[in-house]
Amino acid sequence: MKNTTTLTSQQITLDLLPQKFGRRGIIWTAALLLIAMVGAFAYYRQVRYGLVVTHMRDYVSWGIYISNFVFFVAISLVGSLITAILRLANVHWATPLTRIAEIIAVSAIVFASIIIVVDMGRPERFLNLMIHGRLQSPIMWDVIVIGTYFFISLLLLYFPLLPDLKILIGLKEKPGKWLNKLYRFQGSFWKGTADQFRLSDKAINILCIIIIPVAFCIHTVTSWLFATTYRPGWDSTNFGAYFISGAFLVGAGAVVVAMYIFRKAYKLEKYIYEKHFEKMGRVVVLLALLYLYFNINEYLVPAFKMKKPEEAHLTQLFAGEYAPLFWFAIMIGMIIPICILVFKKGRKPLPVFIAGIMVVIGAWFKRYLIVTPTLLHPFLPMNDVPESYHHYFPSWEEWAIAMGSLAGALLIITFFARIYPIIPIHETISENESTA
Amino acid sequence: MNQLHKIAIGIIWLFCYLPTISVTAQDSVKQAPSVALRYFVHNNNIQYLLIQSRVKVGKKFQAVPGYPVQLYLDSNIAENLVAKSITNINGDAKVVIPAVLKDKWNASPRHTFIALSGAEEDLTSIEITKAKILLDTTTIDSIRTLNVKVMFLQNNDWIPAADVEMKVGVARAGGILPAGEEATYTTDSTGTVTVDFKRDNLPGDVKGNFVLVAKVEDNDLYGNLLIEKTVPWGIAVKPDLHFFDQRTLWSTRFKTPVWLLFMAYSIVMIVWGVIIYLVFLLIKIKKAGNEKAAPLKIVPGKVAVSD
Repeated sequence: MKNTTTLTSQQITLDLLPQKFGRRGIIWTAALLLIAMVGAFAYYRQVRYGLVVTHMRDYVSWGIYISNFVFFVAISLVGSLITAILRLANVHWATPLTRIAEIIAVSAIVFASIIIVVDMGRPERFLNLMIHGRLQSPIMWDVIVIGTYFFISLLLLYFPLLPDLKILIGLKEKPGKWLNKLYRFQGSFWKGTADQFRLSDKAINILCIIIIPVAFCIHTVTSWLFATTYRPGWDSTNFGAYFISGAFLVGAGAVVVAMYIFRKAYKLEKYIYEKHFEKMGRVVVLLALLYLYFNINEYLVPAFKMKKPEEAHLTQLFAGEYAPLFWFAIMIGMIIPICILVFKKGRKPLPVFIAGIMVVIGAWFKRYLIVTPTLLHPFLPMNDVPESYHHYFPSWEEWAIAMGSLAGALLIITFFARIYPIIPIHETISENESTA
Repeated sequence: MNQLHKIAIGIIWLFCYLPTISVTAQDSVKQAPSVALRYFVHNNNIQYLLIQSRVKVGKKFQAVPGYPVQLYLDSNIAENLVAKSITNINGDAKVVIPAVLKDKWNASPRHTFIALSGAEEDLTSIEITKAKILLDTTTIDSIRTLNVKVMFLQNNDWIPAADVEMKVGVARAGGILPAGEEATYTTDSTGTVTVDFKRDNLPGDVKGNFVLVAKVEDNDLYGNLLIEKTVPWGIAVKPDLHFFDQRTLWSTRFKTPVWLLFMAYSIVMIVWGVIIYLVFLLIKIKKAGNEKAAPLKIVPGKVAVSD
């Protein structure tokens, strides 16, 4: 179905300007702040009493924190997918989604960095990684590549924002003293000259090209943190591609969730159409199929051979202690979203939103399953250790910190949407003009 | 036929069940701990006793940790107490003869050690004759020979000990590598064992040294005697430090492989070079804004929007 609505550029500007929090927005923000504060308190306890407040022990030394880290790293890939790949492929329908994708990427990469420091028992020793780091260690590569990806994502968020900052500065109704100061600080030099546009377009094109290999690096290197370790479930040459496909899926899932929420909350139906959900639904179903393919490779081939050292690990996943979680992650994270989105009716906004939530939840538990069960099945048997070492379930502090970090990432997105236009105003106007 | 069947079942039952009874009976019997005493002399100057406490469970002997034992010299009276000891986790306790018993120890060439278990007053004793073992080496016409002599004390004189069995060899990996062609040797009437050294080209330490050993084990009269002598008869082996000097993925940060350094720094420099260039473009954009202001590219008008 295709409607034709007429919109002036002023109306587009008015529609897409950042809006003050309504009642629901205040409740949402307050809830996130509360969760983040509980997380901060739990982290205070961890710093005060040490990592003993967690349930990580000698064997499970990477628990929910590292699962969360992998999740954040994965979700951050969305920036390169929506902004870079689709832009380079000249796909114009994705324009309203670029900023949503980029802010998800920036917030996720910020909290990926934070959660790694949280995982350290002595955070003040982080500097030692820089001073005494070995370039041979994949952890070192990860630190370098995360820092690089953060800066590139930030630039990719900033350059397209410049024309919108000009609009925000030029508003007759000033949004507030400090906000105006912020806009002026960030974009007062943008006058919209042809030269500036030329330079900005050049910078954005370079960023779109450079972010793709860097994004692939960050996910491949994160996968190598596991794959370079000789353990059941991690000893795979397939891990880089497996992680990248999973990251694309969860990133796309996060975008459709954010699209739906912003569309509802800011009444953006005139800018984020059903067409966007239809197209993103297709992207998600394609990525889910791709990730499912890699999962089959990752689990079916070792299960076919069932090498003795891997047997306990695989049995635990397929039919043991972790089986409910494993099949939940596979079903919720891949199978059911595919079943929903493969049909045209399933690619309407609400079903796509539901499928997106499923993908994101499934992806979080999938990361937990990648990290924890492997650590509980080392090649050498666990002898003469306390009973608690044989199992792992996060302590309340770990849950609080993990949830706090998720809330923190959502807070960044929320505050960003409060301060800046979540859909690029200038690009929308330009594209509407060219369409007309 | 039916009766035959019953008899057959009865025989099978007997075969199956009776051994079970005997095994079960053996397994269930847990005897009182027994104590064994062993006397050691190392290099003729350190004497000590090893108290070993074991208990028989089923067909196996098990160590008895924490078992209290009092050890006496010659008679179990308070002034002859050598030590009150408790066995360790392996059921063993090591006791050195204290200085207060020096006069009593020197008074006689033969002594009896008495172990008294505090729990059940079980007496275990061992009688030893003071003995010493000497190890000398000679090299004649490139033929190396080990001369080991065992002597025991009698009336303040050292008398050669004949018919003492011993191992003679090179200390190697916690054991003794025989120096000659025999696994063990026995002293002759002069108390001497002569062994031609057959282990040429044996690796030694960095200077080519290794340790020759002569060891008498659990002799009824003299206990355990051990003598060691370091000789420069081996091939000097320099530790292979080359491995640690290599640039490998598992070496220190100062030994990173060159290919990795090249790849990592190249990637970092290229990517960060681009980022720096982008910052440079941003500065250019800023300068371009100061040059000439132009109206914003927003043209009021009507545009078609699909839904």
